[in-house]
Amino acid sequence: MREVELYFGPQHLGMVGNFSITLNVEGDKILKATADPGFLHRGFEKLMEYRTWMQNFPIVCRINVVEPDHMEMVYAMAVEKLAGIEVPERAEWIRSIYLELARVGSHLFGLWAYSNMLGFDTVAQWAMYHRDLILDLFEELTGGRVYHIYIWPGGVRRDFPEGFTDKIVETLHSIGKCVPDYNDIFFNNPLFYERTHGIGKITREEAEKWGGVGQVLRATGKSFDIRKVEPYAAYDKVDFDIPTREDGDAYSRIMVIRDEMIESVHLIFKLIEGLPKGEVYNKVPNPFKWKIGEGESYVRVESSRGELGLYLVSDGGDKPYRVHFRTPSYSHGLTILEKVLEGANISDVGNIMISMYVVAPEIDR
Amino acid sequence: MKMNKKNLIQQLELTFADNEVNTFEENVIKIYAKKEQVKTILRYLKDNGYNHLALISCVDWIKNKEFRLIYILTSYNANNETYKETGDIYLKAKISRDNPEIESVISVFENAEPYEREIHELFGVKFSGHPRLIPLFLERDYEVPPFRKNFDTRKYVKDVFESIPVIPEEEE
Amino acid sequence: MDREQVIKALKDSGKWGHKYSLWAVYFCTGCGIIEIPPTITSRWDAERFGVIPVASPRQANLFLITGYVSVKTLRAIIRTYEQMGEPKYTVGFGSCPINGGMYWDSYNTIKKLDKYIPIDGWIAGCMPRPEAIFVAVTHLWTLIDKGMATAYKKYRKQYKYYRKNQEMALGKLEWPPLYPINEDE
Repeated sequence: MREVELYFGPQHLGMVGNFSITLNVEGDKILKATADPGFLHRGFEKLMEYRTWMQNFPIVCRINVVEPDHMEMVYAMAVEKLAGIEVPERAEWIRSIYLELARVGSHLFGLWAYSNMLGFDTVAQWAMYHRDLILDLFEELTGGRVYHIYIWPGGVRRDFPEGFTDKIVETLHSIGKCVPDYNDIFFNNPLFYERTHGIGKITREEAEKWGGVGQVLRATGKSFDIRKVEPYAAYDKVDFDIPTREDGDAYSRIMVIRDEMIESVHLIFKLIEGLPKGEVYNKVPNPFKWKIGEGESYVRVESSRGELGLYLVSDGGDKPYRVHFRTPSYSHGLTILEKVLEGANISDVGNIMISMYVVAPEIDR
Repeated sequence: MKMNKKNLIQQLELTFADNEVNTFEENVIKIYAKKEQVKTILRYLKDNGYNHLALISCVDWIKNKEFRLIYILTSYNANNETYKETGDIYLKAKISRDNPEIESVISVFENAEPYEREIHELFGVKFSGHPRLIPLFLERDYEVPPFRKNFDTRKYVKDVFESIPVIPEEEE
Repeated sequence: MDREQVIKALKDSGKWGHKYSLWAVYFCTGCGIIEIPPTITSRWDAERFGVIPVASPRQANLFLITGYVSVKTLRAIIRTYEQMGEPKYTVGFGSCPINGGMYWDSYNTIKKLDKYIPIDGWIAGCMPRPEAIFVAVTHLWTLIDKGMATAYKKYRKQYKYYRKNQEMALGKLEWPPLYPINEDE
């Protein structure tokens, strides 16, 4: 049989996001896969050098469209570390609640993409509907459905409105009531098991060798979560588990996502119970003329895909000197995807890519 | 293998005598290495438990006419109790701006490959021994690699994109 | 009914069938893709307006360009646009195709999409809500009724200028011109 080069290009029904893979196939089997990013490259890190420290906040959340909140958090943490700004305690707890809500919303989006690609359209509609209920909460808090710009150095922008925590609890209960239906139709479905068992298998040593983080690593049995390794915000003050699975294939990754969603909902309830009173914001110096001293810092948070890090360098001026985001989809989409796709079938490309949660704008920035 | 930080610093100073090692805050060890020794130091650190290469980045210090590369390492085996003892390592190397060249570290950490490709494309640094140093994001050649400080992106936009004319209305 | 009325009834029913089933190409071009899944799923149902996503550009006649356009994406957009059958409509979604938006000083994004492919209408916002897409679709119906949604005809008539702009932005193009270019005009 001849070898043919196929273009799994940007305009494709199995592709979520603007990303393309070049496949060398022989019949139905893939011999070599080459990732081709760059369709969404804006040169973010160069653009951020032209804007002052505060002017960068509206732009930094647009790096990852599915979950912009962790980007704001990591940039605010880096700026606070360089400038030596303290955050009041209530703001830390509010930040944790806000980030966990974003995590649940992002996992529901991933569930839409994955079940749509597999062919389970009912679960896709339900997941997108439940994500919309969470976006309604964000809209009441910050004014925007998708891009919020709520976290900034010194705390958060405004306090929770009256009765907001009750609304969060009510929305999450109404989503939680549907979990048995999700389990019946999707997660315990034998067809789902058949389609995903053994697909895209990675062992634990391979995941560590190729730079895997997040669900890709936790599905192989290794419990590595930045919220436990280097706690930030209020994560060291409440108790929660890190779900793991053993096999390292697509089935394990999706089940880890499901377990994480349930764990996040319980974590939000615990955080709301323990929310202290106080200020939410420590003022920063005049934002138009704010200069930060020389230095560099690398901070990291656990986004819904893995370890998200930011390396920030300042030379004493009012604009950043060098900004470099370390996004989790970078090693997943460019190193691990190419290695795992060797020997797979063409019909499993979408399955493997979306189960590893590769989001294209995070790679290109 | 659990390595106490004080032990590690002493061993590094003994083994790699002409590189400077110091601690910074509580959790970070900074190593200022010579560019020829970067690969051996990385291999030594990987054998001592620092097996997660988080980031390779490059900063353009145009006033001093040099690039500074930074390799950030952590350990996959860290958890909350041991993190205060293991922490992060920042390994820094200086290379000259006019002829930037350094050896690739793919044989030590396999996931360094796209980072080095990106730095080559955006800063112009050559990594010797890299299997495919082809463009990653950009689809055209620029006179000056775009992330260097002497590339003015606003002037580029004005010259290239704003000079393209608007489509005229149809003649009746 | 006389001949005029029969022709009008037939043409109107053609327009009626045409405008109430605008099929959109499934191409996630940029940031704005985050508001397309809510639009096509059950909460803000787009199928009651006749809009469904289809896999191939040959089957579609609506192209929603959601978000900013980088240089590599512009190649894919032009090739997709040229493969769609006529009549076809394009809508720019978000502030970025209008004038560059938030990335107005980036070296890799296209600032005004109007110079490269013809656009029927714009939706402003960052991100626009799903209801804004429905307002755009109903506005497009009004334009189709009045015969004013003629961007594809402009592409055919002014193809020489579009092709020259595309070559200035992208360099050498790998595909031949879609319509014959007469150099003496």
